Amino acid sequence: MIFNSIRWRLQAWHGLILVAVLAGFGLTAYRVAQDNQLRRIDQDLEQHLMALLRPRPPEPPLGRFPGEPPGELPERPFGRERGPRPSEPREDRRFDSPDILLRMHEMVQQGGVLDASQTNTFYYVLWQGDGAIVARSPGAPDNVPAPTRVGPPEPQGLQERDAFGKGPPAMPGPGMLPEARTRGQMREAFRFLPRGQCLLVGRSLVPDLAAMRRLALWLTAAGATVLLLGLAGGWWVATRAIRPIDAISATAVRIADGDLSQRISAADTESELGRLAGVLNSTFARLEAAFAQQARFTSDASHELRTPVSVILTQTQTALSRERSSVEYREALEACQRAARRMKALTESLLALARLDAGQEPIKRECFDLFCLAHECIELVRPLAAERRLQIHCDVPPMECVGDAERIGQVVTNLLTNAIHFNRDQGEVRLTARAESGAVLLTVADTGQGIPAEDIPHLFERFYRVDKSRSRIQGRNGLGLAICKAIVDAHGGSIQVASQAGVGSTFTVRLPLKSC
Amino acid sequence: MRVLAVEDEPDLLGSLMKALREDGYAVDGAPDGEEGLYKAESYDYDAVVLDIMLPGIDGWEVLRRLRKTRKTPVLMLTARDAIRDRVRGLDSGADDYLVKPFELPELLARLRALIRRSASQAQPQLEIGDVMLDTTARKVSRHGQEVILTAREYTLLEFLALHRGELVTRTMLYDHLFDENDDTLSNLLDVHVSNLRKKLGHDFITTRRGLGYCIE
Repeated sequence: MIFNSIRWRLQAWHGLILVAVLAGFGLTAYRVAQDNQLRRIDQDLEQHLMALLRPRPPEPPLGRFPGEPPGELPERPFGRERGPRPSEPREDRRFDSPDILLRMHEMVQQGGVLDASQTNTFYYVLWQGDGAIVARSPGAPDNVPAPTRVGPPEPQGLQERDAFGKGPPAMPGPGMLPEARTRGQMREAFRFLPRGQCLLVGRSLVPDLAAMRRLALWLTAAGATVLLLGLAGGWWVATRAIRPIDAISATAVRIADGDLSQRISAADTESELGRLAGVLNSTFARLEAAFAQQARFTSDASHELRTPVSVILTQTQTALSRERSSVEYREALEACQRAARRMKALTESLLALARLDAGQEPIKRECFDLFCLAHECIELVRPLAAERRLQIHCDVPPMECVGDAERIGQVVTNLLTNAIHFNRDQGEVRLTARAESGAVLLTVADTGQGIPAEDIPHLFERFYRVDKSRSRIQGRNGLGLAICKAIVDAHGGSIQVASQAGVGSTFTVRLPLKSC
Repeated sequence: MRVLAVEDEPDLLGSLMKALREDGYAVDGAPDGEEGLYKAESYDYDAVVLDIMLPGIDGWEVLRRLRKTRKTPVLMLTARDAIRDRVRGLDSGADDYLVKPFELPELLARLRALIRRSASQAQPQLEIGDVMLDTTARKVSRHGQEVILTAREYTLLEFLALHRGELVTRTMLYDHLFDENDDTLSNLLDVHVSNLRKKLGHDFITTRRGLGYCIE
């Protein structure tokens, strides 16, 4: 399943995180922009509100303001006074409805803070204390509901603190804070005036909403682009990061398919994957060695079995192909018997090795006397030695040992048989034993041709033969020393060989000495 | 037909030689690579059955050295059946390959095929005029009638038939029809040839006086 791959999972997580981050970022940006926009609108509205409540500038000495309607002239709050403004109640007239109306009118007509073009967007409504609309700008919607006062009426004294008389303030004083509301696609700021009226400045949000939609669109597009780029980048990074893993798994697949000689190329062994590759490679190497050993063993074992089977098959086929004399039948049967004996010996050896390998039959811990054991073994091989007129010397003191007497006897007999086989005629075999630093040292020395140095490391391998020409004639299957080694290993001991060309070989078995 | 069997297992070599002899071959045996190589180089065998695992010089080496001088057909015997070994055997110049334990009839059939192929004869049946030789069944017929031949007569006829049109010298016949243990009398060949003429027609085998025989 492709979606189960690490790369896909990495990509999915990467994508999810990216989407979450981008969404969070985009929403925040949108909200900030929206807030800014609203604040700007509110400031704008506020400015208009202030402008409506600002005292009128002093009139020119003569006449009217240009463009002032010729109709009813409201009383001008500040007249033509110059110099310091007296603190008189007249100033309060700027909150009077007519005054506001006048300014509203002026502003609509001639601009000022507002220019005429903005009248389409900005509108003004003034309510009286009883909720009746006193005035409204031409662009104002019909059904603007009167704001309802939530808090207590503003105290009159606060007016003293505002600084309208000295130019437009950057911010209104605390008491002058207008309230604002959003009504449909309108934003409206309003203030309750000291006389109980309510002045509202509003504007349509349509262009702002469109701008916000554009912003949202932009943010979405940018987010999508960043997401795509991020996913592509993530894919690339994941591919790069996973490439060594792919290489490792590809190699592992080839190895699993049977090619054990494959190795992972560990380009940078410093990295985590390099170390992993190193560990896997050494595992593969050991696996390969084990497999090779196993294959060699199987091949050798089958070879050893095939030859006697061939003998039996050809002998019987030849014998049965026509009528034979009883002598011929006897010869054929004898050949078959020899072959069968060889197979029997081989199967026994293989079984012994298999049991030792599997640890099926644990090594017995019994008390035996090494002296007796040595002499029993010598008696077993004495006929063989006599055939070749060999002398067997035994130098084994009476020694109580603990171990598997039968198997240790097998080791000694094997070594003695080897020493006889590979000896020269009229040579000698020497069996000695002594205790040394908590171990028994058993040596079997012969006076044969010695073992070539290149063969010594392989001597205890299964089916390894030094001289292949003599092996079969003497009915040996190449497992004797391997079995010796397996038995000695099972006892926790060691077996070694020293050899000198033309002088002879000495096998030394070291067994841990345990007294009864 | 004379073949050489090289095998280090005495019981196997013995039964192999016996079976081959009973199949009408003149058979020599060798228990190791050195003797096998010496014999294979000394005589012009029709085929060699060669074991690979041999003491001394192994089968690969025998084959390698033999191929320098002779192209005798070689059938390799091995107890290993790894494909690598088979490939190696065929690549080193072996003509066929048989894994132990083998069935004798298969060995004999492969040997017949090898000898036939080396004589550039693909068919197991040889037709010479009105005489028909079945090399598989080792039977001869003339005008559709079976002609009874002794084993020696048959091998002599088969050898001449496989070398049809060539001059076959008396030495060649001695080399190929008798093994090293045969102490044949020199006039025995003439007796066999005259018997064959009686059974298959006088003109079937022509004599090149002082040189040898020939089937046209």
